[in-house]
Amino acid sequence: MQDLIEILISATAGGCIYALLALAYLVVLRPTGVINFAVGDWGTVAAFGGFLALSEAALPWPVGMAVVVIAAAGLGWLTERIAVRPLVERGAPVLAPILALLGMLVIFREAVSLGFGPDPRPIPQPFGYGRIEWGLLAASYQSVFIIAVTSAVFVGAWYFFERTLAGRSFEAVALDRRAAALMGINLARVTSCAFAAGSALAALAALLLVPNTSAHYLMGIPLAIQGFTALVIGGVGRTEGALVGGLILALVEQLTMRYVPIAPGLVQGVPLLLLIVFLLVRPTGLLAARGGSA
Amino acid sequence: MKTVVQAALVIVVLSAIGFLLGPWQTDIYRKLLLWIALALSYNFLFGVAGQVAFSHFTFYGIGAYAIVILVTQVGMPLPLAALAGVALCVVLALAVAIPATRLDGFYLALATLALAQLFIVFLNEGGAVTGGTGGLASYRLPDIAGVTLSGPRYTVVIVLLTTLTWGVISRLDRSWFGRACRAIRDNPQAAAAMGIDVARTRVIAFTLTSVLAGIAGMVYAFVDNTVNPPIFGLENAFLLLFMVIIGGSGSQFGAVIGATVLYLLPFVLAPLIGHHHALVFGVVMLAVILVQPRGLVGLVKSRPGAGQ
Amino acid sequence: MLIRKLTAATLTAGLVLTSAAPVATAQTQGPIRIGVITDRVGPAKPYAEPVTLGAAFAAREINAKGGVLGRQIELQIEDDQGRPDISATMARKLVDAGAVMIISLSLSTATQQAQTVSLETKTPHYTPSNSGDTLTTQIANPWFWQTGPLGSTQVATLLSYARTRNLKRVALITETSGLGQMTARSFRDALQRNQIEVVAEEVVPSGATTAEPQMQKIRAANPEALFMAGVVTPENVLMLRAYRQLGLKMPILASYNMSVPVYSSVAKGLLDGIAFVDAFDPARPEARRFVEAFRKDQGSDPYNLHGYGYDGIYLVADAIRRAGSTDKEKIRDAMQSTRGFVGVMGSQGSSYGFAEGRRTGFDANGMVVRLYEQDQQGRVVHTGAR
Repeated sequence: MQDLIEILISATAGGCIYALLALAYLVVLRPTGVINFAVGDWGTVAAFGGFLALSEAALPWPVGMAVVVIAAAGLGWLTERIAVRPLVERGAPVLAPILALLGMLVIFREAVSLGFGPDPRPIPQPFGYGRIEWGLLAASYQSVFIIAVTSAVFVGAWYFFERTLAGRSFEAVALDRRAAALMGINLARVTSCAFAAGSALAALAALLLVPNTSAHYLMGIPLAIQGFTALVIGGVGRTEGALVGGLILALVEQLTMRYVPIAPGLVQGVPLLLLIVFLLVRPTGLLAARGGSA
Repeated sequence: MKTVVQAALVIVVLSAIGFLLGPWQTDIYRKLLLWIALALSYNFLFGVAGQVAFSHFTFYGIGAYAIVILVTQVGMPLPLAALAGVALCVVLALAVAIPATRLDGFYLALATLALAQLFIVFLNEGGAVTGGTGGLASYRLPDIAGVTLSGPRYTVVIVLLTTLTWGVISRLDRSWFGRACRAIRDNPQAAAAMGIDVARTRVIAFTLTSVLAGIAGMVYAFVDNTVNPPIFGLENAFLLLFMVIIGGSGSQFGAVIGATVLYLLPFVLAPLIGHHHALVFGVVMLAVILVQPRGLVGLVKSRPGAGQ
Repeated sequence: MLIRKLTAATLTAGLVLTSAAPVATAQTQGPIRIGVITDRVGPAKPYAEPVTLGAAFAAREINAKGGVLGRQIELQIEDDQGRPDISATMARKLVDAGAVMIISLSLSTATQQAQTVSLETKTPHYTPSNSGDTLTTQIANPWFWQTGPLGSTQVATLLSYARTRNLKRVALITETSGLGQMTARSFRDALQRNQIEVVAEEVVPSGATTAEPQMQKIRAANPEALFMAGVVTPENVLMLRAYRQLGLKMPILASYNMSVPVYSSVAKGLLDGIAFVDAFDPARPEARRFVEAFRKDQGSDPYNLHGYGYDGIYLVADAIRRAGSTDKEKIRDAMQSTRGFVGVMGSQGSSYGFAEGRRTGFDANGMVVRLYEQDQQGRVVHTGAR
């Protein structure tokens, strides 16, 4: 029983990281229609930013985290300027920015590989290796921290999209770009903000993860795939979809790993199968978009 | 008739090159021809039919592993093994395509991405059958009617593969089927309204190109006489996509250019700038998309009088 | 029309290739060319780079001392990007360029694919760093040798170290890389041969965010020791972290991957007490001399990975010297008859050598077991596999 609770909390923390990555896809995808596979390598760059800020400069965690997330937002803004805006202004098909962002992905990865070398770099633990144990409840501080930060982010995102005018303008653009433009919404600004926010979210996900692993130049692709899988499971229609998708993915992964008696190497195929099944049975994801446009 | 003569001429010339090259150049030439064959069929799937699928390399791998396993472990004669390999590719492609091509755009990309990863998991976990992470080695191409196909003679086989792929794809492209595929790519609803069976056309395009990739894989299996999982991984699936895009998506000539440029780029750049070549690759990729949306082939075609 | 264009394009490509053809000369004077295949952009890069650096240092040192057979050594280093097919292409390039020997420092699978070339072209081919047990068995290639410490040697050394514990039930954990899987297989085989039951066998997939489910299963199986066969750093860190978080206490016996220094920084606080095999004994006189010379030359301390490359070049130079010529056949015979070659790697008194009919040359008793102490690689606590 204690094992189960322990694994549920650890899976929830893992799911939170997937959820943040899925949200990083979502904030860009909703207003622009662009699937940005570079989110994983935004995360890589941020992880090395975390190495510089938290390990090299030894900034306190909250300060270092804030610095990296803000810098990451700048990186997202820059990414949009370089790889997306010229194509949008030219009226290129939506596939063009997706491919341009794949080019950016390679550039980010190789820049990190050349700049920092191939060896992984450490990011300090915000709370050491401490651990909570209350009766049946057992969890690491890091898991609790991840869950807390992610909850705050999702509450914030929900509030922003549902309750603020700026957030509604995102939603308006998502529903109909032309109508939104006619209503006086500045499409270019919404797009810029979307990329900045996406990169900040990816950075946050990476910063929460890398104290557990380490920052290394090949970490981007798995992050990109995990986040996208979570997005597809949860559905691209609503903010909550990213969270639900991330949690389901991590729970399935870890509970299968723990309790299903199949060859350990094959367990990694389970989330992939889950994904394929989801795509075939419910391609709109668990949570359909509002207005039933499934 | 004219095209037959032309085709024969191409095959003769390309094969003749195979007899002129030294061992290193032959190796590059053979693998380049295989990349071109893959890029040609992938260009039809991605560029003409508009299906963003990442399973092309998986089928290349299925073909390669299938023929090796069928010949060396099952003990089938080569022609039968090749037929069985094709059949396997058809069955698997249909199994993927029938449900997956119902999916729109990037969902298909994701389903095939998952499939590509599953394939690697399967290869790694396949025990003695797939040889696990080390793959299969120590086999060779059985003699065909008493003839040993090795050296330049095997290069001719690869030339035939590539030119036949070119021929099949260009036939398809110019037929009603190619036009149907383009119509679906540009606007599925309009295509359906025109009476095109969208689902069936998509399934056929996917299956056909996947089988072509599988056949290319069978030829690859005897280039170095070893198959292993890293060759068929995601990295190469992305590289193939980049080849088609950089060359000029939707254009066969573009696929040839893209495959040639991207395959040869590291060989040319690595001695000059060391491991920065991977960074240059990303920059080239980005620049082509930003500056020349029709790919490198657009540079040629935009010159007056250089059209078809 | 298009067909003509295709011809034109391919012809151009063909011409480019032909015109780039180097002149393959029989080497009788000038430098002795030794080909090196390394990985500069792919997944093997973190390991291939230091090994390559060690090899280049050895070549400079040998040249400064007058070279081999009165000739200088010239390393021609090629990047295979960690891709097996390109590794074979590079092997051909090196053969064409007149290399008398190919040294592979890239992925195991890449080395294997390059072997198809050395076998066909009858070129001596050698890896001083790859450790996969199947490299010399999967292809019967009399032109290929391996002196990386085998997975089977690693586990034998660990078992010999743990003999007094009289292990009956152990757990095994690895990750999904090719070498990680191969090493785990060698570990599993050896454990089974020694009638030790593997009560939990776990795999952490690449790109995982946690290893807690795997470690929970290990905790539930309650083994007497945990064998770690993984070779990818981030996944190994996850394992160690979960081990700590879940309060596991059984001793850890780790593969030689744990002997690279990166763990001291990325797994700080998680390492104390881990026993790992290493092919490097810092107390060995040859190793001490190497560390000093390298430090003087490079301004930084080498570690075991540099040693593999360094020994590799010296072993090859020794074979060429004994062959008395750069004739590939003679070098082959000299390589195969290498016995008692003393390098910087290995335990005190150990040496490289290829026993009759074998092409793996790392001393079966040449590995040591070391302990992590205060997050640093500490003393040698055990030597050999006897």
